[in-house]
Amino acid sequence: MGDSGGSPTPSLNLAAAVQVVLVLLVDAFGGWLAFNIFQDGNLFFALAIVATLVLITAIVLIPSLWPLKWISPALALMILLSIYPLLYTVYIAFTNYSDGHRYTKTEAIELLGERRYLPEGGSSYASTLYQNADGAFALWLINDAGESFFATGDGAWTAVTGEAPADYNGFAPLEGGAVFRALSAVDGVTFGDEANGVQVQSRNEASGFAQQWVYDAATDAITDRATGTVYVSDPVLGEFIAANGNPAPFGYWVSVGFSNFSRIIESTLSQGPLVRVVLWTIGFAVFGTLSGFALGLLTALLLNGSHPSLRVLRTLLIIPYAVPGLVSVLVWRGMLNSNIGIIPEVLTSIFGASPPFSSDPGWAKIAILLVNVWFAAPYFMLIASGALQSVSSSVYEAAEVDGASAWTSFWQITLPLVLVALGPLLIASVIFNFNNFFLMEAMFGGGPPIAGTSAPPVGHTDNLISYTYRLAFSAGGTKDYGLASALGVVIFIIVGLLTLVQFRLTRSWEQVSESV
Amino acid sequence: MSDAAITSNVPRADVGSVPAPRAPFSLGKTILFILRALLIAFLIAFALFPVLWGISASFNPSGSMASQTLIPQGIDSTEKLFRNYTRLFNDPQIPFWRWVGNSLFVAGFSAISVVTISSLSAYAFSRFRFKYRRNLLLGIFLVQVFPNVLAIVSIYLMLLQIGKYIPALGLDTYGGLIMIYIGGGMAVNIWLMKGFFDTVPRDIDESAMVDGATPSQTYWLLIFPLVRPVLAVVGLLAFTGTLNDFLLARVLLTDRQNWTLMVGLYSFVEGKFSDDWGVFAAGALLTAIPAVILYLFLQRYIVSGLTAGAVKG
Repeated sequence: MGDSGGSPTPSLNLAAAVQVVLVLLVDAFGGWLAFNIFQDGNLFFALAIVATLVLITAIVLIPSLWPLKWISPALALMILLSIYPLLYTVYIAFTNYSDGHRYTKTEAIELLGERRYLPEGGSSYASTLYQNADGAFALWLINDAGESFFATGDGAWTAVTGEAPADYNGFAPLEGGAVFRALSAVDGVTFGDEANGVQVQSRNEASGFAQQWVYDAATDAITDRATGTVYVSDPVLGEFIAANGNPAPFGYWVSVGFSNFSRIIESTLSQGPLVRVVLWTIGFAVFGTLSGFALGLLTALLLNGSHPSLRVLRTLLIIPYAVPGLVSVLVWRGMLNSNIGIIPEVLTSIFGASPPFSSDPGWAKIAILLVNVWFAAPYFMLIASGALQSVSSSVYEAAEVDGASAWTSFWQITLPLVLVALGPLLIASVIFNFNNFFLMEAMFGGGPPIAGTSAPPVGHTDNLISYTYRLAFSAGGTKDYGLASALGVVIFIIVGLLTLVQFRLTRSWEQVSESV
Repeated sequence: MSDAAITSNVPRADVGSVPAPRAPFSLGKTILFILRALLIAFLIAFALFPVLWGISASFNPSGSMASQTLIPQGIDSTEKLFRNYTRLFNDPQIPFWRWVGNSLFVAGFSAISVVTISSLSAYAFSRFRFKYRRNLLLGIFLVQVFPNVLAIVSIYLMLLQIGKYIPALGLDTYGGLIMIYIGGGMAVNIWLMKGFFDTVPRDIDESAMVDGATPSQTYWLLIFPLVRPVLAVVGLLAFTGTLNDFLLARVLLTDRQNWTLMVGLYSFVEGKFSDDWGVFAAGALLTAIPAVILYLFLQRYIVSGLTAGAVKG
């Protein structure tokens, strides 16, 4: 019980009973989910769910933990949706999770097992093709044992008796030339339900499907019954591999140790594209912040004062910061577009030529820094003018009496004071720019591409987070979640280090520790 | 920038306390004044040019952004003036209002949930004293250092898994996206709101407790009505933050009908040679106007939130 007093009396009250019932329901539901996810072979997610459930249940059932009840919903959400994804990223970084290795072994066997094929000499039926007034087809089937079935194209499979009738639920048998004309329409169409799918083979024959891929746990191999090839599971590569070296259509994901990280290190050592990405990420984070800060401070100095017109101008200058970031980036993208953009057109009409903003690596970076300064400067103007207001005018008067020029008092008084006040925000801004995805993606899609990179191509203006995005989600390319996650881990480490620097510089960790 | 870790104690940007001293006339001062005015004019032009151009392009019937005059040429009928807007509203390929609705629903639901859930935690951290309170608070501070968009790959894979068993929370669902927004908004907002609760005098709680109120009664009947305006502002900030998100919405929503406004606007100009700039500009303007109005309305709170809030004891 806390010093704020008033722990609820542990009597039998309705609220407590409702809470217990609720938590049991959540437990039952969460337990079911965790069990299924565990069965799919995803141990860690299942464990995260179970751990959260145990925590919540303990908080609700143990009376002395009552203050934690207030925190438990936030805690559960944070564990499952913030902390677990971060840890899971680290885990995936050590796997080969990618196209072709998208499933756990259990899921891969299950999914391959769902594939059907038409075996030669499989279950065959004598069939009669039916059609109704809407043009939908159906089959009247008789198997070798003489049993009859009626199968429609939309998944119905009904056991029936007797001879094929002239009308069955609105369907009538096709005859003569109509059968042949219909054959091309029903070629490859599956009739019947999941368990009894059949396809038409000729005008009066149909065959049943069979499971194509069969897994044998004893030999840890999967057999393609269509060809008879046996694919043996290779737990190191996460593939099913045939004797001739061919893999099955897809494999499963396995731990691959540090191989994703060694790929990153190799690419870095061999001056590969990753070096450029890292340099640009850091360069943009630093220069983007500094340029925004410099222009913002300049603007704040120019507009410092209480005259109403200065207020109006300040408000006008804030507008770029108030417009949603993506919208402004896209407007700039249009204005810089080399085919239709206003800026290249005006530059051409004045100078006879315009820099190739979207196709030259250097100009693309300049364009991005320009757009960044456009919406970063108002942000810094806003907080810098706050800091300027707080500098007492008597400090400047004293400096003037001592004979300091405006220039000197800027470097000796204004800048140090503003830097002290804005220091933490500058580092926060570096971290933000370090992870600035929308600017890189929306401006040039990371382009122009770095020569020699493909599927997915890496661009000169890709930063770490947009490169991660391209590795994992770009259309067309091979999706390599393992490598993308390894890059994510690299980002965590750098963001962690930057934050540490921020704490050291500002002692804000002490502030945080004291304030709690 | 508001969701980065912000930890300073800069005072509010209250405007206008230093009176400008009147200086006697001198040539140097005049030149400086003219230079200053020119620089300001240049900055204003730099800041507002893209805005004006966006407005102009939205009324440009040719759909291109290349016309060299700020007033679009060749408009001789209202049909031409509003051609882009007509297409935006009526073209069946462009479910603009649906995107607006999606955005408002996703952002509204997320913001209300985030504020409700995290205010309970913030109140508990502010008022109750319990074991591991300090460690929990510091842990939450660490969580907000690493925003969950950095784990975008595992979030994607996680929703893929969940969707197998709870379709409403899977990929390409509002439920899944909202869930991720709520989870990601917890840590930052708990810290922000704990700061606000700390400024509410404890006497209020204590007198209520003396009168026999339970903690829940104290919170809902006394404290909550008191902090409601602050919660509304925090909620509005969370709302606009979510509205402006691009990465999560783009990765997690695939069906065109399900897109949020930002993903939809991006689709107009995504291709290398897309020339739907007119329609884009119309949509962008309709998006930006409420955002700017809301921003100017909330400016005071945003500045103090940017500069103080997070760590204030």
